[in-house]
Amino acid sequence: MPLPSFYDFCCRVKTISGINTLEQIPSQLANMKAGRPMIISDKGVAATGLIQVVIQALGDQLQIGEVYDQVPVDSDYRVVDDAAKIYRTKGCDAIIAVGGGSVIDTAKGVNIVASLGGDTLLDYEGLGTVKRKLKPLVVVPTTAGTGSEMTLVAVIADPDRKIKMLFPSYFILPDLAVIDPRMTKTLPAALTASTAMDAMTHACEAYYCLEKNPLSDSFAFRAIQLISQHLLKVLQNPADLQGRLALANASAMAGIAFSNSMVGMVHNLGHTVGALCHVPHGVAMSIFLPYGLEYNLHRCADIIGELLFALAGPEIFAATPKSERPEKVVTFIRQMNQDLHTATTGKHPRCLKEVVDRNGAQLVSQSMLPAIAEAIMLDGARLTNPEEFLPTDALTVLSNAWEGSPLDLKKVNKGGSKVNY
Amino acid sequence: MNINKYPEVKPGRKPLKRIYLAIMLWTVGKAIPVAAKVDPEIKKEFEKLPKNFTLRLMVQPERAFPLFFYTKMLPGFVVKNGMLPYGLQMILHIDAQGKVHYQGADPRGKKFDLSMAFKNLEAAMMIFSFRESTPTGYAHDRFVVEGYLPCATTFMRVLDIVQVYLLPKIIAKRAVKRYPKWFEMPPWRKHINRIIIYLRAFTF
Ligand SMILES: [Fe+2]
Repeated sequence: MPLPSFYDFCCRVKTISGINTLEQIPSQLANMKAGRPMIISDKGVAATGLIQVVIQALGDQLQIGEVYDQVPVDSDYRVVDDAAKIYRTKGCDAIIAVGGGSVIDTAKGVNIVASLGGDTLLDYEGLGTVKRKLKPLVVVPTTAGTGSEMTLVAVIADPDRKIKMLFPSYFILPDLAVIDPRMTKTLPAALTASTAMDAMTHACEAYYCLEKNPLSDSFAFRAIQLISQHLLKVLQNPADLQGRLALANASAMAGIAFSNSMVGMVHNLGHTVGALCHVPHGVAMSIFLPYGLEYNLHRCADIIGELLFALAGPEIFAATPKSERPEKVVTFIRQMNQDLHTATTGKHPRCLKEVVDRNGAQLVSQSMLPAIAEAIMLDGARLTNPEEFLPTDALTVLSNAWEGSPLDLKKVNKGGSKVNY
Repeated sequence: MNINKYPEVKPGRKPLKRIYLAIMLWTVGKAIPVAAKVDPEIKKEFEKLPKNFTLRLMVQPERAFPLFFYTKMLPGFVVKNGMLPYGLQMILHIDAQGKVHYQGADPRGKKFDLSMAFKNLEAAMMIFSFRESTPTGYAHDRFVVEGYLPCATTFMRVLDIVQVYLLPKIIAKRAVKRYPKWFEMPPWRKHINRIIIYLRAFTF
């Protein structure tokens, strides 16, 4: 496969991974000349006692300036401003983010305001506003999926204008990612499954979408391998620390891959159903991933076929003729969703109609599908999808995903020029 | 802003490419407001953008255009119509009623809500000579977007449809990811709209 005529790639997050790596944070922070961190987290993490684990691991080698655990599920700029104020009054000099995607994004935002000055994050909206090195940011992910510890963008909502602000800058990248399986050990089965499928989607989309490049590819490939080897084992044995470590590593690697090569229609649909129907991101990803692969099959069958090696292992890959590999990848992911459904005793939904909220009420009704299909146009992820993705196409995909039936490949609109990577 | 105060201007640097791009940007800019009236899909896309919204497509750097020299030599009406530009820019404005206006190429005194800029002349040439489709150009980082990103995807969709109208199929196929199927854009609509756009946009 020819190399792309142009690509850029950057990842400069120092990563430490292994059982009991949390204990190394003080010395790592000392290297960055910091010793009074602010811990940013959310109530959920605090309730599971993970913050206590971190504080204990930090020991008495450093002073903790403040523990801020008020980050809501959908974080907005006011939380960021609030936390930045506390950061300053308590005289902190670094940030340790303990949590999932929302916490990490908030911490990135706090770091901007706390390091560059000013009262509000709104001053730093747009490209090129963050121009210099920020304060040390340590990220301790507690879910294995979002990969936010490796991405250079913070997504923070502005509820007044009802928009999501993007803060892309290389300076936002965390300085240190600490992958310790103790942090993901207590993650419930359904969440483990859906967040891992989010990482799987990052890796798959990075591998076949338009900004694909050889550096991202290698990260994506290995991430897929790790997830398909370990996910089911971890669900059967939640205390499997090696498996947890593998998933957390996969999530970080998939984060590197998609941060540098972008995602496609699966995320486009996922962002939209997330915004309109509050479907959790990971759940949406696992439902839409097989459709994303199917929909783009005619554009990049060879590339998708390669994924079978990572998913199913060398024996199955070698035993499958080249022409059948792409379809086999799709069936494999579908089977994986089915297995996760069984392993979580039905908590992992296989199609949109199975997605329910805490009270068991259906989140997406069939009548909402046309509105969702129209709204996909406002998301940038559609630009990097190999095949054009328009509302009519989205409606076909959505109605199939709602029912859980495979896409009719004959009905996928084809045509146009060959994709140049 | 006094144009004489601009930094050193080197006339004659790739003037042909600049003139070609100027004509392309002008053509697209003139065509979009008409297309917004006749094409239901473009209309729908523009409705998603806020009112009183100014956006532009340009080639970086914003300053130092050799074309300043040429504009001085040209009759006034050419510049006023935005035919030969202040720079390589295409400025569109959506007014309070949601109507789209082409505002030429003069950025002075305007505030832009969305700005799409090709990183350099060659990057713009890759796209406008149709060696690279818009999505491939995006993937290859040929341009940067400033402002509210979701609107950029809308704008890029509009550009795609306008290209389908303006260009013969054989070229437009190279410019867009997927040439519209007959049921997405019926042939009669395509041909009638194409004639309307050409007539209304390019008669003064
Ligand atoms: Fe994701």
